[in-house]
This record gives sequence, C-alpha cells and structure tokens, in this order.
Amino acid sequence: MTKIDPDLKKILKEFSHDYLLKRQESFKGLDFESLRTELAELKDRVLAQNGKYLLQFEEKARSHGSQVLRAKDSAEANRLIFEILKKHGVKKLVKSKSMVSEEIGLNEFLLGNGVEARETDLGEWIVQLARERPTHMVMPAIHLTRKEVAEIFSKHLGEEVSNEIPALIRVAREELRKEIFSAQAGLTGANALIAENGAAMLLTNEGNGRLVSTIPQVHIVLASIEKVLPRIQDADLLLKILPRNATGQALTSYVSFIAGPHRGAQYIVLVDNHRSEILADSKFREILRCIKCSACLNVCPVYQILGGSQYSHIYMGGIGSLLTAWIHGLKESKQLADLCLGCHRCEEICATKIAISDLIVALRERLNKVLGKPFWKKIVFDGVIAHPPLLQGIFHAARVARPIVTERLGFARKMPLAMKKFDRFRSFPGIARKPFSQSFEENFPSAKEMETEGSLILFAGCLIEHFYPEIGLSASRVLSRLGYKVKLGPAACCGFPSANSGFSSRSKQAFERLSAHLKEEEFIITLCPTCATMLKHIAPQLLKSEKARNLASRVFPFSQFLIQKEKERISNLFSAQPCSWRVTYHDSCHHKYFLKASEDSRRLIQMSIGKEILEMESSDACCGFAGIFSVSHPEISEALLEEKLVSITSSGAEIVALDCPGCLLQIRGGCHRHGCSIVVKHTAEILAERLIITSGAR
Amino acid sequence: MPDIIKTFIDNAIASEARVKRFSGFEEAIDFVSLFLKREKIQNIAVAPDALCFIKATNEISILEPRCAEDYLRAEAGLVLAHYGVAETGTLVHLDCKDEEKIAWTLPPLCLCLLEKSRIVADLESLSSILSGHLSLTTIPSPQVSLVTGPSRTADIECQLSIGVHGPSSLLILLVDGNPE
Repeated sequence: MTKIDPDLKKILKEFSHDYLLKRQESFKGLDFESLRTELAELKDRVLAQNGKYLLQFEEKARSHGSQVLRAKDSAEANRLIFEILKKHGVKKLVKSKSMVSEEIGLNEFLLGNGVEARETDLGEWIVQLARERPTHMVMPAIHLTRKEVAEIFSKHLGEEVSNEIPALIRVAREELRKEIFSAQAGLTGANALIAENGAAMLLTNEGNGRLVSTIPQVHIVLASIEKVLPRIQDADLLLKILPRNATGQALTSYVSFIAGPHRGAQYIVLVDNHRSEILADSKFREILRCIKCSACLNVCPVYQILGGSQYSHIYMGGIGSLLTAWIHGLKESKQLADLCLGCHRCEEICATKIAISDLIVALRERLNKVLGKPFWKKIVFDGVIAHPPLLQGIFHAARVARPIVTERLGFARKMPLAMKKFDRFRSFPGIARKPFSQSFEENFPSAKEMETEGSLILFAGCLIEHFYPEIGLSASRVLSRLGYKVKLGPAACCGFPSANSGFSSRSKQAFERLSAHLKEEEFIITLCPTCATMLKHIAPQLLKSEKARNLASRVFPFSQFLIQKEKERISNLFSAQPCSWRVTYHDSCHHKYFLKASEDSRRLIQMSIGKEILEMESSDACCGFAGIFSVSHPEISEALLEEKLVSITSSGAEIVALDCPGCLLQIRGGCHRHGCSIVVKHTAEILAERLIITSGAR
Repeated sequence: MPDIIKTFIDNAIASEARVKRFSGFEEAIDFVSLFLKREKIQNIAVAPDALCFIKATNEISILEPRCAEDYLRAEAGLVLAHYGVAETGTLVHLDCKDEEKIAWTLPPLCLCLLEKSRIVADLESLSSILSGHLSLTTIPSPQVSLVTGPSRTADIECQLSIGVHGPSSLLILLVDGNPE
C-alpha cells in the first residue's frame, strides 16, 4: 500500500519542472542525442574490457603511492575499510556523498564497530541527523522542508535554529567544519576512475569532497568497478553530459582529479558486489552504463508521486529496481519493478541510453521464474487471456448483461467489492453494444468490392473491439476516404499485457495466434500505441524470427501512416476553414516515447480543425492508466489522473485528443467521475468528424 | 575582445563568479590591496604558488600557516589559476601541494589570478596537459582541480545557496600580461 504525501508531491513536481528548464538551457548548442550515443558506446566498449582497465588503473594508482584494495561484496568492503581505520586509529570518519557507501551499509557497520561516520554533503548530513535515508541520488533531502531541516538542526544542536535558508547554511558550514577538522579519515566516492593515470574523478558542488579528501590524515576512495574509464578524454565526455543531465549545470562547482595521495595515506577500495555477474549477463550488462545522474528519477511520473522513500530499496526508481535486483537481491527489487509504469520517459533522458523499461519487463520475467507468479496475475494471464474462447465468453456474457450493468452514458454502474479497484477513482466504460468487428462488417459491407488505392489491415486492439468500436469505425472511414480497402485484422490480443507482466511465453502464444492471421504483405495500421509497441518492438525481441521482424516492418500507427504515406492527399479531406473546436492534445506514453508519433497526430489534428492545438501543461505526463498498473496501484494511478485532469481543464480546451484507447478509458472515466464536461476523443475520431462531406461518403 | 575571452567571462559570471580585468599583475595586486582594505579584511591566506605576487603590508597580514586549521583564520584566499576554460567559465589548477587546495577552498572569499592568454576554448583542449600532470611521479600529490563559481548547494527546498563548504564568493582577477 503506497501513501501519497501531497506536500512532497508538490515539491517533486516543481523540482522536475525547474530541472527540465535548466537542463534544456544547459544543453543549448549541444546535440544531446549524439553525445549520449557516444557515451553509451564508450561505456559498452570499456565494460567489455573492464578487467583490463581496472588492472591498469590499479597499477597507476599504486605508482603514485595509493593502496588499492578489491572487495567482492558489501561485507568485504566494510571489513577492509574498518581495517584501514583501525590501522590508523581512526575514531571519526567524514564522508562526501557516496552511493556505494549507502549500498554497502557502511555507516551502520562502522557505528556497530565503534567508528563514527559523519556525512558532510549538506543533504546527506540532514538525512543522517534525521535518521533517514537519502530519497534522491543527487538531492538526498529533497523530501524535507526548511522548517523540518530547522527542527532537525535545533534538535542536534540543542538550541533553536532559524528556518531561514541562509541561517541553515551558516549552521551547516560551522558544524561541518568542526566535524571535518576533528576527523582522522575522509571517504569520498568517485564519478570515474581514470585508468591511464590512476586518478579518481570527483564532482561536487559544495566543495566538501575537496575538504574531506585533504584535511584528515587518511583518505579513502570508495568506488564500484564499472566506474573505470581509459583516458582523461573519456572523462571530458562524461563531464559534458553528467552535470548537465543531473542538475542542468554546465559543470559542477568543483571537479577534482585525485591521482597522488595527499600528505597522509590514500586507499582506493574497489567494490564488485555482483557487478561481475551483471557484466557477464548480455541482457542486463547495459545497466552498468548508469552514471548516476538521476535524470530518470527527475522525469519518472511514479517517483514524482511517491518520492524516494517509497520508490527505493537503496537505489531509487526504475534503474534502482534493476541495480537492486543484482546488488541486494531479486526479492528486494520486486516491489520496485512493480511500480514502473513502462512509460519509457526515462529512456528519453537517460545519459547512456539504458533501455530501463524493457529491462524491467525482463526483470519481472525473472521474478516470476524465481519467486513465483503472483496469484491474481496467474488467473489473468495463465487462466483467462491465454484462452481466447474463455475471454470471448466473458465479453459475450458482459454484453448480455449490458442493459443491467451499464448506465445511460455508457459507463458501467458502480462495481461490486471484488471489482472495486477498476472503478475506485474513475468510471469504467460499459461494454459496447456490438464489438467493432461486427459494426465494421455492417458499416463497410462493400469494402471487399471497392476499387482502391490498395488494401491494408486495420488492427484495432481489444479496447476498441469491445469498448470503443466508434474509434475503429472512424479510422476505417478516413482510410476508406483515401481510397484504401480496409481489411479487418483479427479481434485478438496482441500479447502486450502478458509480456509487460513477465509472462513472455503467454505473450508469444498470443502473438503467434495473431500473426497467423496477418500473413499478407500489407501495411498493418494500429489504433493503439501499446499494440503497436508489441508488434513493432517486443514481438521481434521475444521471437527473434524473420517472420516477426517482417511483420514489425509493416506496422504503422494510424497517424504516422497518414503523415508518412499520405501527406499530400490527407489535407484535401478537410476544410481549410478553421472550426470552432478548442482542442488540446495528450501525449500517450508509447505513442510519444516509443513510436515517436505524437507530432504526426498533432499535425493531423491541426490540419483537420484548421487551427492550432491549445497545448496543455505537461502534455506528455502519464495519465496513470498503464494497463493493469491502474488496478494494482490505484492510489498512484488516481494521483496521476488528477494531475492530468488539472492540465486538461487549465488548457481552455473543450476536447482532449489522444491516440491510446487506454488513456481514453482513464481520462474519459476520470472526467465522468469528476463531473467534468471535457470531451475525450481519439485522433481518428477527430479526423473522421472533420472530413468534408461528399456525396456517397459514409 | 576575442570571443574566447568574452565567452569565459560570460560563463564565469553565469556561474555566480565575478570577473575584473587588469592590464598587468601589478595592477591586479594593487586592486587586491585596496579591495582588502575596503572590505576590512586583514588576514589573507595565499596559495604557495601565488606568494610571489603579494607582500604583507601594515594593513594586510599574510598567514603563515603551519597546519590546515590555521587557514580557518583567513578571511580571504589569494590563488593562481593555471588555465581558464571558456566553455564553462572554469578555473583550472594543477595541484601539487595540499596547501594550494586548502587556500582555494577554506576562506570565505576566493581571489583568483588568471592570465588572459591561459584561457582555452574547452576542456578537451587541456586533456593532454591534465593527463601529463596527473601522470607525474616527481611531485608528491598530482591532482587537478576545476573550479566553476563559488561553493553551492540546492539541498534545502531546491533553493540555490552559496558557501556551504567552500567560498561564498569567487572573484576572478583576469590579467592581460605575463607573470614574472
């Protein structure tokens, strides 16, 4: 059960908004896409020879007088560090920010062995005093207000501290200097280890890393093995991307390259902690490309609702679930993996192009194999969706019961207790009177005999087949008007829901059943971005067959097809006169981030209404549907929907257009539940309604 | 003004540093003396590699620190940057001694001398110099510091605050001439 703190949600939303603006400004004049491609390729090359570069780093670091130690796991890393401290009689260790030290539980271990470990990064110090854990990798105390910080400081100092930020900063400066000057050892992390000269590269904004590594007699660098880079030129590339992507700064205030030890002793502890196993796994190896910039967290819709205290084990968010699975154990990663919406937003911003969403799906598969499948998912995916006749029977029964369970406006009546999760915060649609396949046959009886531009297959997907046939009919109308003979694809599940929940064998079965009916060499037009993602991306990966690849190459989202193949003719279908409609557009996650088709939809809508769309704020923020996510995590889904409804109503539009029937279910259901008069339409419906009426047109 | 210098100044200012230009080192040091007097700063820590530029006067006391803690008494630090990076407004120092790093970091005000001809377009232009310095085995502590603006944090309510650990003020003294 997740709890949503409205104050924290507000802080995180504002932070994300400001972060994106600063980040955009900092990358001005640079090509982020080519920079991150270069960095991802560099990291891949280096990871492939990680052992070689680590040895080179060790040799060079030793030549400068550092002692280099290797730790295979957390226990060994803690023991090695404790032995160093014991040897030098250290009673107090001061630390600059190090996620690896959080990972190994160093502070707790040292405390249990009589050594005080004191954080010196302001955010880390605050959470340490509050006896909490960091909730963000770059901004550890992002969840706390200045008032709470003042209370924490007052309690620590035993005197009243003002809650004005400059006063809090002054207190921190004075107190942390006392800590640093009274410590016998300092510990820093490393953002990179440079093999060619044995230097550790450290980025900080506060300057505590410089003090911690210089003032105490002993300096320890604690770093994980994937941080090694061959040359300083490689660090230049990292420096171009990391601060910009992390905080929107061209460079952090301080970057230190520490090769030789200072006047005292210097130790470098290199931690493996199952990273060698990740390196050996061809599927998951890319998670070690992560440079811990936290950009993925800053745009994650779930992180923005929950924050890091709930969406973390030690590492946070989607990438955190992947690292946790290997470093802290599969069981610890389960809840995190469940929290991913699969929106792909993080992948757009990831500094090293890690396929976070896809890897989480692969992780769910492993979780199902090792820890067992959740009972209710077994019923859904092994029991119902895997057996099409049973699923059809359920829909048929629902259709028979329709007059009793459906209200006047087409929404289902309030559901009984067992089904409460479906409509707790939004109205659920009643099943359509007739499935789309039947309506299509009735509305387009002569399609088979048409003289046409060619034929194509319309694959509508389950929601359109059973709940929203009008979308399928609208798309058919537009395509027919362009002269295409529209053939209906099978009314079967594409396999996405099973794949997304880690039931890949069921997904393969579903896809194979479907593809058996899609043999002809024709374009396949989709009206649901999730189905398109399955057909274009997931199926070729799952089946690794030529047949799946061939099918994928023929799949086009409806709006992308119209812009790519019919750009010249499509505008002739609409009046050039602007209409009175005030339309805004919601970017469905897969449509924007995976299919890259949102701008095509916008162009088509603008073409059809003869004027600009009224853009809403955060049009690409997830609406919270995400398939079964809205049932398994209704609190988060509801919070995301509320944000979306505020954006929509604030836009001044009367119609919201979108391209995903799932988003349509969520937003239309939300509008109905909240008594909001906004009309929700699929792009295909807008286009069909704006077609110029011609004689004989359907 | 060559673009590279303007870019450096613009980006240094964008990072919250202040920049003042001088025709020579002598003029810059005269300014430092006046500035310290005006600000009523009496104790100044001078990085070992900047000592050649300034002498103690009746009004200015140059610290002669025996340990790091002595630097805590300094109200300002005078340091020398070896290079400037225009792309980010960054000061580059090739560290050889701990005292240099401490003089850059501990005092609340950092006054940094930088020769105009030492400004390069971007960090890549310095790669071989940085790499060469970090590979030195003839000095005890080869390190490199890149400093861009004063010490900063946004750890409380994401509000930018300066001076939490290092200097809250960074004044770059940009000098046209060559150091003696």
